[in-house]
Amino acid sequence: MEHRRIYGGIVAAVLLFISGCGNSGGEQQDTQAAAAAAEETAKATYGKITEVSMDAQLNAEYAEKGEKIFNVVCSACHKLDERYVGPELGTVFKRRTPVYIMNMMLDTEVMLEKDDTARCLLQEYLTKMPSAQVNETDARYVLEHLRAVAETR
Amino acid sequence: MNPGLFPRSVVVAIVMVAGTLFVACNSAKDAGAAGDAASRVYVAPGTHDELYAFMSGGFSGQMSVYGLPSGRLFRVIPVFSQDPEKGWGYTEETIPMLNTSFGFVPWDDAHHPEFSMTDGVPDGRWIFINGNNTPRIARIDLTTFRTTEIIEIPNSAGNHSSPFTTENSEYVVAGTRFSIPMFENQDVPIESYKENFRGMLSFVSVDKEHGNMDIAFQILMPGFDYDLAHAGKGPSADWMFFSTYNTEQAHTMLEVEASQNDKDFIAAINWKKAEQYVAQGKAKKMPGRYAHNVYDEKSHTATSTMKDGVLVLDPKDCPDMIYFLPTPKSPHGADVDPTGEYIVGGGKLATVIPVFSFSKMLKAIDAKKFDATVHDIPVLSYEAVLAGEVEKPGLGPLHTEFDNDGNAYTSMFVSSEIVKWSLKDFTVLDRVPTYYSIGHLMIPGGDSKKPYGKYVIALNKITKDRYLPTGPELTQSAQLYDITGSKMKLLSDFPTIGEPHYAQALPAELIKEKSVRAYKIMENTHPHVTLGEKDTRVERSGKVVRVYITSIRSHFKPDVIEGIKVGDEVYFHLTNLEQDWDTPHGFAIKGARTAELLVMPGETQTIKWLPDRPGIFPMYCTDFCSALHQEMQGYVRVSPAGSSVALKHNGLKQ
Repeated sequence: MEHRRIYGGIVAAVLLFISGCGNSGGEQQDTQAAAAAAEETAKATYGKITEVSMDAQLNAEYAEKGEKIFNVVCSACHKLDERYVGPELGTVFKRRTPVYIMNMMLDTEVMLEKDDTARCLLQEYLTKMPSAQVNETDARYVLEHLRAVAETR
Repeated sequence: MNPGLFPRSVVVAIVMVAGTLFVACNSAKDAGAAGDAASRVYVAPGTHDELYAFMSGGFSGQMSVYGLPSGRLFRVIPVFSQDPEKGWGYTEETIPMLNTSFGFVPWDDAHHPEFSMTDGVPDGRWIFINGNNTPRIARIDLTTFRTTEIIEIPNSAGNHSSPFTTENSEYVVAGTRFSIPMFENQDVPIESYKENFRGMLSFVSVDKEHGNMDIAFQILMPGFDYDLAHAGKGPSADWMFFSTYNTEQAHTMLEVEASQNDKDFIAAINWKKAEQYVAQGKAKKMPGRYAHNVYDEKSHTATSTMKDGVLVLDPKDCPDMIYFLPTPKSPHGADVDPTGEYIVGGGKLATVIPVFSFSKMLKAIDAKKFDATVHDIPVLSYEAVLAGEVEKPGLGPLHTEFDNDGNAYTSMFVSSEIVKWSLKDFTVLDRVPTYYSIGHLMIPGGDSKKPYGKYVIALNKITKDRYLPTGPELTQSAQLYDITGSKMKLLSDFPTIGEPHYAQALPAELIKEKSVRAYKIMENTHPHVTLGEKDTRVERSGKVVRVYITSIRSHFKPDVIEGIKVGDEVYFHLTNLEQDWDTPHGFAIKGARTAELLVMPGETQTIKWLPDRPGIFPMYCTDFCSALHQEMQGYVRVSPAGSSVALKHNGLKQ
């Protein structure tokens, strides 16, 4: 899929918005194209996070802290293995880049407005993800938790 | 215009009638605003007002928040009265806020908002307001715009001269409008007023860091009516000035009986000296029950503590602590200018406005220029303390506020006008009509050391023909005037909540960035918080059922509950898991004889529900929250008492 710029008015924007999302195969199909999607989101990044440094080994302490935050802040809308208010997150670490995941937590509004993947997911799920109001440190813990979860799947 | 529809003669007639009306209107009452008024009060959509104004809600018991100059209403802060819209006084967490020594009191009459001050200037931390009927003072936090503390004032009745604060909010004060029998001596004949009834002036300390209030000491006063007060500032900062009327000590038909004396008093209280007397042990511990209610922002829960006993100073044991300034004819306002030198008395029935000099007062005290001693309190010579009188100001002077250029503005109740006069020579500079019967007036910062000026607000008692009629009860109203030029100019009228007594205003910049957007869920210490959907559950202990329920756009968890029985006492502890700005969720359940919950992001609030019949009871979110708000609902099944239906729910913790 090509990254397109929106030049036109509202009508053009809506048309682009709709046409830009292609076949809504849902997260299942999306998962199968995990590598491609990761490559794609890496092309254009939105939000304040531009890089995330991660150790080669899982940081168990981070993951444990992240799980606690996930349970309070995220789990009301995201389950690990099934679609709920938002997409399942058990394998999100495999299908999205760390930068994407961090920005969805820290710069939600910008992502929903500008990022093609996030925009298309909003079109599919129709509930706008609220800003989680977590700080960067906490978001990083949650990311590590999602990494740990993905490793078991 | 299509002449086919309106023949020329009709058009002419319409123009003529309109012209006549216009002229008639103008001659009937000069109600028009200044020519550029519309642009002066216009705040374009999406832009912010220059000032916050906080208005007393009068007999609504609440406080309202407006933007100036637009006059747009932003919020009604529930204070002394139950507010089902916000669950205030209905939720388990807020019920204790309305506790008093009389038990739960769901209403009061709120009069005077007063900002906390640092060095005599509003510091934007808190705003206080008095409850007049069941004497109380409330403190509102200006980061949350919520009532965070209410303290009852013992040995008091008609808490009117309150809650005016000293220069650094060391104290907020409370004076008795009604003198009453004190302490154990309660059941007395009303006609023994002169013998048994006394006034009381209370000094309520304010913790510098957290704002918490405490009754520091009280001063037992003669049985007059204590009306209003203002603290000194700068050189007079150690003093508090209370106006009095009914120095005749009448107990009936005060309209006539309390208007006999040529002069009543402004009581000048040296509160620093009072502090010293308390420190020296001159205050007696006297009985006085009162409730002290504090709301905790972390546990989202109020606690009410009943206390007994206060320290009381008697002026006869405390020389050089109080002096009376003779003040013509039933004074109302006692207002101090920004320099702290002038004390202005507003004598409701007086023909002049007396202006006292603080420096002359100190000299007169040193020289013992006393006319008399009344109830052990020296009465200073009027001439010795007078700086000057404003001659022919109008009829019924009540209150005075100040600008930053050495001018004073006095409200005239009977002649319905604001009179501007000079503090240099006490001459009248300008006058402008109000519509109608102005009570208080307010200049932003106009009772502080550094008035912001620019506007004066008239807080009117009568609106009569100013608005579209709404039956016998008409709207209450305020009016905004420009005071930047030599002539005051009317800019706009706007309706207010309840009767607007006093008001306060400050530049929006001082507080708007500090406004809390959400409570941090990870810091929520409510004893019944649900930290995440994984903890959602329903627990039964005997007849008490606790529902640990969460909300997030747009569902409740659990949203299906069975096994509730008639006669149960059900507590819905709703935790709003949202952490974003402007994301409250409401909660209502059919047949609840209380109110809704309106829960802010990160907060937990509880409503008690007493199901009285079997059936299915829908619950839903009342505050529109997302595209799927209408889907945010659930069902509760209630079975007969003694039924064998087991507790069952779809919370995630079983």
